[in-house]
Amino acid sequence: MDLFFHFTDPILRAPTIGCILMCLSASLAGVVLLFQRKLLISETISHAAYPGAIGGIFLLSFLGPDFERFSFIAVLVGALFSSWLGLQSIRWLERKWKISSDASLCFVLAVFFGVGVLLASGLQQVQPMWAQQGHILLFGQAATLTDEHMVMYGLMSLACFLFIVFAFRPLQAILFDRAFAKSIGIPTKFVERIFFILLLVSIVAGIRSVGVILISGMLIAPAVAARQFSNQLKTVFWLAAMFGAFSGWIGSILSAKFSLPTGPMIVLVGAFFAVAGLLGSPKRGVVFRLIRQAAFHLRCMEENVLKGLWKTEMDRHALKRLYPSMLSFVLFRLTRHGWIQKKGFVFALTSDGRTKASAIVRLHRLWELYLTEQMGRDPQCVHTSAEEMEHVLTPEIEERLTKLLSDPKQDPHSQPIPERSSL
Amino acid sequence: MNPYTDVNFFEFFWVLGKRIWQFATGGGTGLATATDEIQLGVLACCSIACGLLGPFIVLKRMSMFANSLSHTTLLGIAGAFLFASHWWGSGMTDLSTLLIGACISAILTAGLTEILSRVFRLAPDASIGLSFTTLFAIGVILVSVFTRDAHISTEAVTGNCDALQLSDFRLALSVAMINIVAVIVFYRPLMLIAFDEPYLRALGFSAPLWRVCLFFLTALTVVCSFRAVGVLVVLALLVGPYLTARLFCHRLKRLVIWTPLCGVGISLLSVALSRAILSSAGVALSTGGILTLTTALVFVGGTVLRTVIGRAKPKLTLHMR
Repeated sequence: MDLFFHFTDPILRAPTIGCILMCLSASLAGVVLLFQRKLLISETISHAAYPGAIGGIFLLSFLGPDFERFSFIAVLVGALFSSWLGLQSIRWLERKWKISSDASLCFVLAVFFGVGVLLASGLQQVQPMWAQQGHILLFGQAATLTDEHMVMYGLMSLACFLFIVFAFRPLQAILFDRAFAKSIGIPTKFVERIFFILLLVSIVAGIRSVGVILISGMLIAPAVAARQFSNQLKTVFWLAAMFGAFSGWIGSILSAKFSLPTGPMIVLVGAFFAVAGLLGSPKRGVVFRLIRQAAFHLRCMEENVLKGLWKTEMDRHALKRLYPSMLSFVLFRLTRHGWIQKKGFVFALTSDGRTKASAIVRLHRLWELYLTEQMGRDPQCVHTSAEEMEHVLTPEIEERLTKLLSDPKQDPHSQPIPERSSL
Repeated sequence: MNPYTDVNFFEFFWVLGKRIWQFATGGGTGLATATDEIQLGVLACCSIACGLLGPFIVLKRMSMFANSLSHTTLLGIAGAFLFASHWWGSGMTDLSTLLIGACISAILTAGLTEILSRVFRLAPDASIGLSFTTLFAIGVILVSVFTRDAHISTEAVTGNCDALQLSDFRLALSVAMINIVAVIVFYRPLMLIAFDEPYLRALGFSAPLWRVCLFFLTALTVVCSFRAVGVLVVLALLVGPYLTARLFCHRLKRLVIWTPLCGVGISLLSVALSRAILSSAGVALSTGGILTLTTALVFVGGTVLRTVIGRAKPKLTLHMR
């Protein structure tokens, strides 16, 4: 099988597994940031890692070409240091100088990345041989990952995963209500500090394969996708890990196949998951939301038609405002429900339909009465509100209204309120 | 012959002053502008353009949005480049095509971010992050599919202050002019949109219209400056000088004057520093990188100064007038 070939092939094995592990830990960190509403901090931290990575290469380059195989350790250490420095600078700007988090994120990002560019231009001129090492950090290059990288990323991802597993309870409490978590004795600061260290680790692990500019996409997209499918924190974590791992896997396969840069491919696959979730998730997805809205709209129209027919029977008023373009469709559906019947050229209510329609009119008039009697509204202006509420009121509310108004017989316009009937 | 060859940091200002004096009195011979002067001119214009908008953008919390605009510019450039080279045959693409492409991508970014937060009900940070990383990824892939060269993308992000031409200066100057006119004419609605939107509406202005106006000015500044100096410098100049000026000013009107001046000072310092490093060490460092570093150093210097003098007046709230 072509897809699994990537796990066994000696050359493709390390890039594929490395990408999967790295995306997994990034998406776990992304979920925490999503709930803290701090997703953009990942963008700043990843850019802040750049000068350290370049600086690490710079320092190593003075040791001579023999040390080139250690360059990934230099990159890791340097990137960890400078991204930590970036995080501290954000805190300093926000706490000491009361600068809004938006501005401080942007400032730290620009300054650190600028220093990185400065160092890279220096490296280009002083040690041109090493400049390529720094260049690939911008957009990432998974193809040249080796087994050593893979083990390293495996350990880093394992650390993130274990943290989420073992610190799940305190983390959950902090994410939902920080003050509460503090009050029941959870060491919030300590947990948050460890989380931020792991965030740095997972971002730094990713810059080699996805690149500093796009790694934030790897934190954002799987978390957003997972959030669409579940309201349970635990499930969101699992789903995000799955989406992250899949986008790492599929992205690296696609990039190897079409020889495209790995980072953007992985991010695009992640974004695809996110868009699919946003559109098609059963509870929050836009498609289903639109369907639900349309269904409600249709029900309102059906009920209006029923009510209209009922009123024509009762007091021989002409059907008013009942000729929308959807009318024939609505009539068809009502016939299928068994609420109306076609007799010759006219539609007439069946007995079921009459019960249903009188129930709707009852809700309408009850609500009008409630508004005038209990809320003190003018009887002239309660009709519009009742036109909407008659479709929304549930049997429970109807019962309470009946009790509240002591089973009324007449609405404020002296029209009879139909008896309550079981449908 | 560049008159700035082998000058050190202080001599740079001496030579610059001498040449400006010559230019002003008309006594100079061979007034072909040196590369350093073009660079200085472009950076100064950019810092005026960015510095005028900076206060409004930071107050409106739009700076990370400006960051996302600056990233997705790449998609617009790549798209325009492909479109032009495909339809007009040759690879010749003039500046205006690229600018139109970049403007379209800016509008696309803003639209996508709005849709994600309004229709899909995502939090603002998630919608900004998702839209720009996706568009940027598409941009990088477009570039690498059709050119097999990541060089363009690197340049678009990091910018290249060291290969500027007179046409770049004209572009930067026109953006600075547009922003000066816009901020002077529309000062009141822009101030209110940044400070107090309900008050703006109560005065009978249309809030969405002025939000779009601020967005449009931001996009114009970012898009036109990227070509000259790269997105990095734009971001640093949008936020850095404002934050520095903010340490000492508490009135928006003064901030709008001091922020561009601070930016001009920073660009002067960084061009001189870049030249001095080239003269003394023989290394041509990226001027954009030096500029961001200078911005940070100036801010840190400002905080130190503020701490020294700040004990007497620890007031930090910003006033509208």
